[in-house]
Amino acid sequence: MALIDKHPEMARYISELEWFKFLREQTMALIEIPEMQLQVKTLDSLLSMYSRIIDAVENKKPFLASYYCLAPELYTAMNLPYYMVMQTPFLASSVPYLLQDIDAAEEMGLGNDLCTAIRLSIYYVEANLSPLPTCALNLLYPCDGAPLLHEVIKRNKRWRNIPMFAPDPPYYADERSLHYFASELRKMVKFIEKHTGRKLDLDELKKALDNSNQMFRLWDEYNQLRRNVPSPHGWGIGGPQCFSQAWVYQAGTPEGVDWFKKLVEIAELNVKAGVGPVPEEKIRLFWFDLLPFGWVFEFLPWLESEWGAVMVMDMFANYPYTMIDTSSEEQMWLGLAKRNLFDSPMVRQARGVADNFATDIKRIVKDYKIDVVIWPGHMGHKDGSATVGIMRETCRDLNVPFIHLGLDLFDKRYSTPDQIKDKISQFFRAMGLG
Amino acid sequence: METPIKSKVFEQFNEATRTLLNPVLKDWKKQGGKILGYFCSTVPEELITAAGLTPFRMRATGSTSTEMSDAFFSSINCSFPRHCFNLALTGEFKFLDGVICINSCDHVRRIYDNWIRFVPDTQFVEVMSLPRKTDAAQVAWYREEISLLRGKLEKHFGVKISDKTLWKAIRLHNETRRLQKQLYELRKKEKPPITGSEMLAVMVAGTAMPKAQYNNMLRELLNELSGVEGTGDHRARLMIVGGILDDPAYVKVIEDQGGLVVTDSLCFGTRIMWVEVDESLSDPLEALARYYVADRPSCPRFYGEHDNRTKYIIDMCREFKCDGVIGERLMFCDSWLVEHYMLGQDLKAAGIPMLKLDREYITGGVGQLRTRVQAFLETIGR
Repeated sequence: MALIDKHPEMARYISELEWFKFLREQTMALIEIPEMQLQVKTLDSLLSMYSRIIDAVENKKPFLASYYCLAPELYTAMNLPYYMVMQTPFLASSVPYLLQDIDAAEEMGLGNDLCTAIRLSIYYVEANLSPLPTCALNLLYPCDGAPLLHEVIKRNKRWRNIPMFAPDPPYYADERSLHYFASELRKMVKFIEKHTGRKLDLDELKKALDNSNQMFRLWDEYNQLRRNVPSPHGWGIGGPQCFSQAWVYQAGTPEGVDWFKKLVEIAELNVKAGVGPVPEEKIRLFWFDLLPFGWVFEFLPWLESEWGAVMVMDMFANYPYTMIDTSSEEQMWLGLAKRNLFDSPMVRQARGVADNFATDIKRIVKDYKIDVVIWPGHMGHKDGSATVGIMRETCRDLNVPFIHLGLDLFDKRYSTPDQIKDKISQFFRAMGLG
Repeated sequence: METPIKSKVFEQFNEATRTLLNPVLKDWKKQGGKILGYFCSTVPEELITAAGLTPFRMRATGSTSTEMSDAFFSSINCSFPRHCFNLALTGEFKFLDGVICINSCDHVRRIYDNWIRFVPDTQFVEVMSLPRKTDAAQVAWYREEISLLRGKLEKHFGVKISDKTLWKAIRLHNETRRLQKQLYELRKKEKPPITGSEMLAVMVAGTAMPKAQYNNMLRELLNELSGVEGTGDHRARLMIVGGILDDPAYVKVIEDQGGLVVTDSLCFGTRIMWVEVDESLSDPLEALARYYVADRPSCPRFYGEHDNRTKYIIDMCREFKCDGVIGERLMFCDSWLVEHYMLGQDLKAAGIPMLKLDREYITGGVGQLRTRVQAFLETIGR
């Protein structure tokens, strides 16, 4: 309580911490299941991340506001904790007060057609419910919403005097863009050094990138296991947890490597035993977006139990696992630029031209023996929704069914879980799936 | 609200605004001239003129449906690209010899992706990478973008764009800006001789004909309007702020309620002409890059510029003695939603009333618009 009295901006952050502690307790009840042991580890790393920010606020230590796709290995190398301003929608949208906060954002005058993740984040900043960092690294991609959120942050009276830097994203995926963005990342590090007093030690960066490379190798290995029929895991463990470890909670740490080793070990056992998340895998689906985090428990278990439909792959789980060459400083910068701008999930598809929407579908449908591609059509993903024709044509060429749903990943009132279930059921029946 | 503009030249502007392939462009085509379409006012028109082509700002005038493009876009996409792409699919843009796209927003940038796949008969389709920031590194990036585009235009159209021809085009376009600004100056009068809807028609026409000819027509119009007094029966003087607005009929609805639009921050308005390209630099590409990225009044596409945008709007409000601001936004446009959210607070602090209006690209819902404007005028005591 004392911390909130002194730092009211920490209120939501502390609530989220408490919520995750509660989830951890619930998960502990199932600790005999190997996957649950891993979930507990995931929650532990998340709790540790929250605790480090709280400790930094309490003890006036430097910390950053940044994003998964702004080279988090750098912060690990500099021993700087970071949190994402878009943390709640990305990591904590299961919190019980989510809908109330969405309504509060709308009441502020942010309407209801702006991406809910952006609206919520603007609300948290404007309502003084986001930790005030030592300095902020603002995100200008992959969509219009990101720079707009950070324009609001830049103008907010409590944030106005916080130093900020935003790397500028080029639109292409070529060498010129790579060098341009690497240069932006170098500027970003100089900025961090200036405002936090921490220096980037290149040996520490190499260590972090070596760890990170190892995590990505293991992640790739894990995904190879998901190609098996049945898939060793469904929506319950996989993409979101891998993403959170490699990109957010444990970016570049040895603990992250251990986590991935454990994941591969568990998946291998399932593959050897020929078991998956459902007794009989009937449909293998590719969910081409984030999971519907705001109402995940009301929907995804149903897909498995009602239809035997297993989410074999999702947008955040699979992308090219390009290793970063750590043999020289120049290569490390170029590698970071490439990984964050061209490879990172969602950024890879949404930032530039739409080619990756088509190529990802082609690759994943083939590699993972996909029976159906689902484009959720999140109300905030407008560039993706302007690509729906390209995705449909791609699936037509592959002779794999494609459905565009139209929903809000966070707000279950936009399209209710029942409406979505009905739409999917009708589609599966019409396509003769399951 | 009517003004005395009854001239032939104004009718030509009006005609150019009401159609895509207007009579001036038809003549240009008949003479063997080429036309290059471009999306967004951040594409350097000067380069197109320097290539000997006529730049045409893409719009979907006359579109009545999105029946075909709805297979490629979705219901959460802005109606502007949906209508534009529908016209592309139905062949209405066949008069164009190419199209330049740009990553201006999440909706419009996807026109490029769809165009290259589903409108295969367009010979020249390019996309430009516009930076998000306005610093020196971003100006340098955009300079290179313009340089690359120059090379592509030269190669495809078999022309040479020398620095000399580029400077000539810059001077020509700056002249357009000066002439347009003179028209805006007339709107500072208590009884302006030109209404907001008429001015919008003049501005839109300027993006749909060769600049040299347009400038001659502008001079003619300026001559006709000099010394003319407009009607003073308006209830309030307004500034309009927003994104792509190319339909004078929309502004006319506002003006018919008594709200005379005397200035704007629009990309068919002051944002494309209030500031000129710096002719004192030695490198024309640098001059263009600086202009399009850093110098001219920005739109919310550019990060870190909100304070400057607000200052610009407040300054314009004062200069044109505005009683209030109308913020117009196309449905599903994130950029203008958030910008208007912030601008509303800024203007409130400055004591300037603001009305925020959402609209579809093709003007509709006129009754509701009338009611909102009437209520706004009453709120501000007019």
